[in-house]
Order: sequence, then structure tokens, then C-alpha cells
Amino acid sequence: MTQREAGLRVIGKEQPSDPTEPASNASSDAKDGRIHLNMPMRYAIAVTCALALLCIPLAALGRNPLYAYWEILSTSVGSKASIGETLNRWTPLLLGGSAVAIGMRAGLVNLGVDGQIYLGGIAATFVALHVGSMPAFLAVAATLLAGLGGGALYGLIPGLLRAFRGVNELFVTVMLNFVGLYLVTYLTSTVWNDPLSGAAVSKIIPSRATLPPILLGEAHIGVLIAISLTVGAHLWISRTKRGFELRAVGSNASAARYGGVPVNLVVVASLVAGGAFAGLAGAIEVSGVYQRLHPQITVNYGLMAVLIAFVAKQNLLAVIPVSLVTAMLLIGTQSLQLSAKLPANAVLMFQGVIVLAVLSQQRSRQQKPRQALRGSGATRR
Amino acid sequence: MTAIANFLGAQIFQTSVLIAAPLLLAALGELVVERAGVINMAIEGVMTLGAAVGFVVIFGFHLTHSLLVLGVIAAGTSTALLGALYAWRIVYRNANQITTGIAVLIFDLGLAGVVYRLSVGPGASLPNIPQLGNVALPRLSAIPFLGPVLFDQNVFVYAVLLSSGPIVFLLFRTPLGLRLRASGENPKAVDSLGWPVLRYRFWAVVIGSTLVGIAGSFVPLCITGGFGDQTINGRGWLALLLVIFARWRPSRIFLGALLFAYVESLQFHLAVTAHSVPPSLLEAAPYVLAILALATVRGAYSAPSALGLPYEREARF
Repeated sequence: MTQREAGLRVIGKEQPSDPTEPASNASSDAKDGRIHLNMPMRYAIAVTCALALLCIPLAALGRNPLYAYWEILSTSVGSKASIGETLNRWTPLLLGGSAVAIGMRAGLVNLGVDGQIYLGGIAATFVALHVGSMPAFLAVAATLLAGLGGGALYGLIPGLLRAFRGVNELFVTVMLNFVGLYLVTYLTSTVWNDPLSGAAVSKIIPSRATLPPILLGEAHIGVLIAISLTVGAHLWISRTKRGFELRAVGSNASAARYGGVPVNLVVVASLVAGGAFAGLAGAIEVSGVYQRLHPQITVNYGLMAVLIAFVAKQNLLAVIPVSLVTAMLLIGTQSLQLSAKLPANAVLMFQGVIVLAVLSQQRSRQQKPRQALRGSGATRR
Repeated sequence: MTAIANFLGAQIFQTSVLIAAPLLLAALGELVVERAGVINMAIEGVMTLGAAVGFVVIFGFHLTHSLLVLGVIAAGTSTALLGALYAWRIVYRNANQITTGIAVLIFDLGLAGVVYRLSVGPGASLPNIPQLGNVALPRLSAIPFLGPVLFDQNVFVYAVLLSSGPIVFLLFRTPLGLRLRASGENPKAVDSLGWPVLRYRFWAVVIGSTLVGIAGSFVPLCITGGFGDQTINGRGWLALLLVIFARWRPSRIFLGALLFAYVESLQFHLAVTAHSVPPSLLEAAPYVLAILALATVRGAYSAPSALGLPYEREARF
């Protein structure tokens, strides 16, 4: 593997088939003399440390930290309404986390979930405003598919640039986030503006294009779509030939190319698939939660999605519980904003501390010499 | 004639130089880090934190006039401390620079919001801090065109322009700078000569974070006046990209910062004069330009060879 070609791998990923290391080494002393705990144990320790550390700002706010944690738990799953709200928050986080994880399996960092959510929201709003007298079932399907397509198209841009121009996808996706934000601001303040609102908010979409509710109207059906899609993507990656090719590109791009994998195609496909997942999340937010488009349809879901994918170690099945916990944290800290005057951004800080603790628990294995941030050459023949 | 004045007038270049100043300082901070072989992915968060801390100190203590510098110092100190923590993780503990960087980025963004909210308090009112006024240099500001553009700016712009020289000199014309750059190109060779690679990298990250934090603190002080989610708004990312477009050369960083600042300042001038262009689309222009630049500039081959790689003595490469 030449140094240039190694550039595709950006994230130092655990290789599951490492012959020098037993798969589960619970509490066994390994060769280097350190005690290695198994993964759930290490995660538990990391989260406990993070929670202990976070007692300091909570205490500084004059709150009993233990009571604050109890409040997070009780307001996120304590009543039927709060469970519904948690499920609604879970949906975009789950889809976004899966979007990032799919990219990471191919060795790509997709930091553009926010932008893809915006584009999915734009496409979904466009279709929803034009459904006319379509039957409700078709209208909802068309709205969601439009979101899927919008996000996929937005994922195509970094995919093509990566595959054919060797541009690092991380920076392109970050820049596209801002472009998406301003596109939404433009559309909602001019073309689709709701004159009654006096802000950058679009008109309300017709009720036939809104997602059907579940749980007696407390949540919408999106969460079921998200879970089934995530499980489907997991099966696709772990059980099919294309999924194997995706993983091959992620673990060693030049070896994959030598083995006949169309690396360029896989790179584009994984970013388009991630974009489609995130775009669907945008459509679900528009059609299920807000019934309209505005710049706040994503509140840093993209950043949280990256953290979720880190913690889940790019495993799509692990994304499901991790994003659920994130959604609980999000809803729980919302109530703390009201009762403890905790700022809204505190949830990002919480997540940052927890993820840093978890990352420090993931054993830092020796990284091979590779050009960490060079896009060029990696996917060119 | 008015159209040319809109695009090439002294006024728009005056705004461009003002906007370019924090971008330039942040990019130089990132350059120091990257030349030492570390990539600081958290730059956007560090800049936001610097902006928040600077704002909070100035707002909280009602600082004015020359005391405004205390806010800048506080911003630099806080980002230096967090930068030291981050540097320890990635330099001495060999943590993955990209994953750790993104986690630190998100932590910094959250911390910035918390610091801001705790001092300003909840509520919808967004207070402003006193802005730095322009100081017209005598004689020099009377030069046509160049006078208002370069010599009728605020103190911060002068400070950035004056300090960028020593930073570049230190990095490219001194033995210390040579060894620092060598630790980004070939750390093994530096180590074999007995120079402490890890210490160079550690201090590069700390100094780089300080510069980025100071650059961040100047955004509310000179450009926006207030602090909010949209204050930094990708300036950190643009600085990071600028280093890449400039192929790790300071002279190109100067030009690139001016170019991006020019495109950004178009929105202030065109929004007033040309009503046909929607302002929110103009705001997206710098980011579109960045993508276009990424797609056309091929700078990867001039990157420091060991950029993004941890240095381990015992590793056999």
C-alpha cells in the first residue's frame, strides 16, 4: 500500500479480524500487561466518569446533580407524552447516525448530515406543497421519497468530488451544510414564506402530506421507518456482496481495488446512501413534526450523528441504542433548560465529554503511516 | 461607474481587510499546528469558544477602551488551556486526531454556548459589546485608495498585520521553526538528532489554539458586536481550508484570506445597492467558493508529509 493510496482511510477503525487478539478479552491480561475490559464495561466506566465530571457545572448552577440526572431520565421516558417526544427526536438522530456510520464503513467522514437534512426538507416541502388532491397514502410516500432523493443528490456532490477529483469529503460536506442552511433561509423567507409568521418559516404543508401518528398521536410513524431502514442497511452491509465491497474499501482501498472492487462507485454510493438517510430525516421532520420548513428543522443533528457513529463504532445495530440514549439526553436537558436554567448548548457539551471519555477508552492502537487527510490519489486509477 | 465602485471601491476593500484579519490570524494558527504535523480539526469550536469567552469577559466586567484587551487575553488563555488538554491527548496519547478533533469541536461549541448563556442569562435579548473604533493613522490614511483600505482600520487589524510577520519569520526563518516544520515532515529524523518532536508538536498545538482563540475573540469585538450561533459561522472551517488551498504557504494564506473576506463583504455592499440579489444567497457565496476552490486546487502533494500521523518512537514503518 503506497502512502498516497492509503488516504482513503480516515478514521482509525478497529479491525474485527485481527488474529493477534482474541475477540472478547474480558478482564484478561493481554500481552502488554494492561488489563483489558470488554467493550460494554469500558463504555459504562467512560459514561460514569463523564457523568461524574458533569456534576461540576450542574453544581455550579446550584442544582443537585443527582436530582438533575433523575430529571433527565424522568422527563425523557416518564410519561406517554415524553416518550412520544423522545421517539420523535430519536428518528432524525437514528437516521443521521446511520448515515454517518455507512460513510465510515467505507472510510469516509460525512459531516454534512445537517445540510442533507436541509435539502431533504426542501425537496419534501416542494412536493408536499404540490400534492394537490392526491390520496393521503401517496402524498406521504411522495413527500418522503422526495426527501430521500434531495438528500441523496446532496450526498452525490461530495461523492463525485471525492471519487473523481480526489477532494476530501469532510470539508465539502461541512461547506455544504452552510449552503443548505442559506438555501432554506432563502426559500422560507421568499418563495414559500408564510407572511403571517414574520420569520423565515414556510407555509404549512397540507394535512394529507403529514405522517400518520402512532402511540395515540404522541409520536409519528417515522421512528418505525428509521429503525427498519437502519436494520435493512445493516443487513445490506453485512450480508450482501455490495456491502462486502463497501467494507473492503473502508478497510483497505488499494487492496479492494486490486481485488476488483469498483472503488469510485462504492465511494459515491456510500455518500449517496448516507445523504438519502439524512434527507429522509429532513422529510420526516418537515412532514411529521413541524408540518413546515424552517432553518431550525435540524438542531445540530449532524454533529450529534457523528458522535453517535463514533460511539457506536460504525456498527449500524449499535447506532440504534446509542441514538436512543442521545435522544433521551436531548429531551432531558430540554427540561433542565427550563428548571435549572441550563443553556441549550449544554447538551453538546455533555455529549462531547461523554464521547471524549468513550474515545479515550477505545484502545488507541498503532496507526499505520497513512496520509490522514489527503483526498488525492486514493480513488484514482 | 457605480457598478465598478460597488465591486472595486475603497469601501468594500476596507471591509474586506477587516473581515480578513481574524481569518488570517486563525489560518496562521492552523498553519503552525499543521506544519508541526498535527491537524486541528477543532478549529471551528476553538474559535467559537474564543469569541464566547472574549465576549463574556468584556460584557460581564463592562470593559471599555484599552481594557478590552483583557477580553482578548482571557479568550487566548482559555483556548490555550483546552488546547493543551487536546494536545496531550493527540500528541502524547496518540489518540486519533480526526475523531478526537471532532469530539473536541462539539464540546467547545457546547461550552461556548454554556459560557455565554450563564453570563448573559436566559431571555431573548442579545446584548452587544462596545466595538473597536477605527484609528486613522496620520499621513498614511491620506493616501488615495490604500489609505482608507490599510491605514484606517481598528487596532486589532494593525495588530494582526504586524504580528503575522514575526509568526511567519519564526516558522520559516529560525532554527526553532525549521525543527518544528521538520517534525511535521519527518519526525523520525528530528528525533534521531535528539530534538523533542512531541514537545514541539505539543507547543505548536497550544500556540495554534491560542492564536485561533484570539482570532475568535475579535469577531464579536470588531465585526458582529454580539455573540450567537451564527457569529463564527464557519470562519474556523474556512481558515482550515485556507491553509489547504494555500498549500501550507503563508503568502498564499494572505491572498486567500483577502479573497474570502472580499466575497464575504460583497453581501454587505450588494445587499444595499443591488436589490435583485437575495441576501441569503450572497451569504452562501464564501462556502460555494470554498467548494469550488477545493475541487480545482490540487494542493495535497505539498502537505507536510507526517500531517495527521502520531509519532511513535518504537513504531516500525
